[in-house]
Amino acid sequence: MVGLSIAFALIALSGPGERAAGLGERAAGLGGASDGVAARAASKGAAATKVEPGLALLAAKVLVCSLEGPMAVDNAVVLVRDGVIVALGDRDEVQIPAGYDVRDLGDLWLSPGMIDLHSHVAMGLNDLSETVFLTNPGMRASVGVVPGYVHMQDAVAGGVTTVLHIPGSATNMGGAGVILRTGGATYEDMLVRDPGSLKLAQAGNPERRGPWFPQRSLMNWNTRDTFRRGVAYAKRWLAHELGGAPKPERDLQFDVFISLLKREAQVSTHTQMAQVVGMTLSLVAEEFKLPVFIDHGTFDGYRVAGRAAELGIIAILGPRQISVPYNRPGFTIDQDGALYGVAERYQAAGHRMVGFNTDAVGPPSSNGPGQEELSLQAAMGVRYGFNNDDGAAVRGVTIVPAIAAGIDKRVGSIEPGKDADLIATKGDPNDPRASVELVLMRGRVIYDTAVDRRRF
Amino acid sequence: MLTSLALFALLSATPHGEVASSVPGEPGGPTLYLAAAKVLTAEWRGPGFIDQGAVIVKDGRIVAVGRRAELAVPAGAVVEDMGDDWLMPGIVELHCHIAGAFGLNDTVYLTNPGLRASSDVIAGNEALDVGMAAGVTTVLYIPGSGTNVGGQGVLLRSGFDHYEDAEVRNPGSLKLAQAGNPERWMLRPNRSLMNWNTRDTFVRGITYAKAWEQFEAKGGDAPVKDPQWEIFRALRKNEAQVSTHTQIYQVVLQTLTTIHDALGIPVFIDHGTFDGWRTGKLVKERGIFAILGPRAIDVPEANMVRWSGSNPERIQGCAAGYQEQGVELIGFNTDSPVIPQEELPLQAAMGVRYGFKNESMQAVKGLTIVPAMAVGLDAEVGSIEAGKSADLLRITGDPADPRCWVKQVWQKGVRTYNAADRRLW
Repeated sequence: MVGLSIAFALIALSGPGERAAGLGERAAGLGGASDGVAARAASKGAAATKVEPGLALLAAKVLVCSLEGPMAVDNAVVLVRDGVIVALGDRDEVQIPAGYDVRDLGDLWLSPGMIDLHSHVAMGLNDLSETVFLTNPGMRASVGVVPGYVHMQDAVAGGVTTVLHIPGSATNMGGAGVILRTGGATYEDMLVRDPGSLKLAQAGNPERRGPWFPQRSLMNWNTRDTFRRGVAYAKRWLAHELGGAPKPERDLQFDVFISLLKREAQVSTHTQMAQVVGMTLSLVAEEFKLPVFIDHGTFDGYRVAGRAAELGIIAILGPRQISVPYNRPGFTIDQDGALYGVAERYQAAGHRMVGFNTDAVGPPSSNGPGQEELSLQAAMGVRYGFNNDDGAAVRGVTIVPAIAAGIDKRVGSIEPGKDADLIATKGDPNDPRASVELVLMRGRVIYDTAVDRRRF
Repeated sequence: MLTSLALFALLSATPHGEVASSVPGEPGGPTLYLAAAKVLTAEWRGPGFIDQGAVIVKDGRIVAVGRRAELAVPAGAVVEDMGDDWLMPGIVELHCHIAGAFGLNDTVYLTNPGLRASSDVIAGNEALDVGMAAGVTTVLYIPGSGTNVGGQGVLLRSGFDHYEDAEVRNPGSLKLAQAGNPERWMLRPNRSLMNWNTRDTFVRGITYAKAWEQFEAKGGDAPVKDPQWEIFRALRKNEAQVSTHTQIYQVVLQTLTTIHDALGIPVFIDHGTFDGWRTGKLVKERGIFAILGPRAIDVPEANMVRWSGSNPERIQGCAAGYQEQGVELIGFNTDSPVIPQEELPLQAAMGVRYGFKNESMQAVKGLTIVPAMAVGLDAEVGSIEAGKSADLLRITGDPADPRCWVKQVWQKGVRTYNAADRRLW
């Protein structure tokens, strides 16, 4: 009995020891998402002292990737200035302003940089899976980011320009993820948003956490309890900020819930089995009304796809694009010998907002796909039946994840006003055989096979 | 069994035991005329494709192939027009472990040339079915690499539920695994001992085979038969080959210098990965086949390939590495279930992704005619040419584009899969 109560005490968050105080604490914490605005302002400042000309990119085909509207513009030009897309259109219709550098990409296709919402490659994974407590909403993946990390270079060469770098799933709440550009020499260059998300892993891996090896009932209770505390904390702060209620005591463990409640960050949830995805919908979306998306969606989670569609919960799927029929405790999947494409099943249930992720931890290996294999995830979705007639596979690695993470005003499609994060490929970027030849990040060339050594 | 006997009684059997059929293309059935937007003929030398092509199948074999406009429909033939779909030869897998009960990793001895994978086959099992639904029609089912010589592989067709129908050739190969896994064997051997013991096994086997060859040529007393060494007689006649799990530079080098050069045994590189590509020039000089997979890349991760110390700065495609050094005879394998059997075409796609040049259909050929040639089956399967077995796929486009999928499969003229009835994925 004593042992059990110690167990509960340990499970129940890190407790008062982490209460924040002091002058050094950055104000951005309370405001929720810090936008990397300072970094942008700084780079604009630099641009002001050294005026860069605009850039006109000519391509055989441009994949626009906006959620609605035509997918492709043939024989197109994209105008870029100050790191931002200024115009896009047919070469005969869009005038290239005087003074612009022109780069003719010949037969190459131009697409928005790809976005991976389940990535662990901005640093070594060991530092991302702290397992002292079972729920850790106060931890931040941002503390360990290594600019230029080898697998981030692979990401660039594979056309992945934005990643949600998140803690592992060794516990139910690994901490806050951070949204990063994959190129950039410094953290400030890379930062898109911190917190990028709160990482939730409902089941499948946290069971391995010793010494107690929790199972779904206890994990679910403890996760609910953490959500309840966090939401209550955030409501007190919002009541203070908006309604003049007394200033609550600061608790770093729960600050991320302020961002969630303001819908400035989302819960990115490693959720895959039908029962577990069902809990994502009923617990996180319906009971706590927090912004959430299905991440790392695989196995038979498709069985609740219809409900996810009704609730408007975006589904980001991978790294396993198929549900294989088998039967063992925790998984009873009867598909009568057939493989089901997970994305195809979501689509068949009427789900229209399907994206793809890798769960990359390093190079492609038995540990899973490499960061550069995001396009392959979408291709495998198509292989296993996902209808791609309207370009849903490319949208699934661009605009759909951008919307899921709330960064679609800046990235995810080639539209005026968005960051010029662009990739040029030899053909359809959804065809894994099509190599990436050129990558621009905020208008700057960061990978160019015409001059750089190919990474693969 | 009673049911099959009853069927035999009801239907008229040919002298070879094949049941006459009324289904077009099958043995005894009417002629089948297949028309497709593109036929990937995949012959080793030649264009490898025919636009608006047609294939004529009779009695389970390909009778003719050509442009549709130039190939008349024979009298009585049943025409099947595939519209925009393509037709291609069945895919050949030379590193498969899923055709049976997985009772194929016996580790009592370190070399086991007498063991047979054929004793373990479950013909037409679910994993083979799903692989067939991706177009894999022929597999070399081989022992695992828990020891240096796991035993004899067997060549099988994927679409038949009885061993007699499924068998293509037994022995299919002798499985050799020089290093990488047998180190886990109970006494924890390392490369020096393994190499010595493997050489010793081969020299004994060759000595045995030579004694039989001498007896067959010159008579005298018949040698004592020893099932442990029988496979070497087939190897010496090139009626079977050594399929060798060989992947690291130094290990592939031993495949070339010991098995091929010193011992003179027919051998192909199987499960070729890691930095074995650095032997490419030597592979080309010897005309040895390189069947590559399941890992298509040599990665810059010190922990992964520290033993070879290769390639610190980039991801090197294995197939591209061999190709850049002039090797043409490059094919692909999965090592199923390590990579699922149905993902064999993806192995070729990933080869292309990581730099393998595909201008003249090398990816398709690496899935079909190249592996067929590697095991000496190219007179039977691997391309769409008159006289070969009608092992054919109807597919929505290029098989090396993993987004394409297989709609129908024929093996020996029998339609063994039709996605219109039930798509397996």
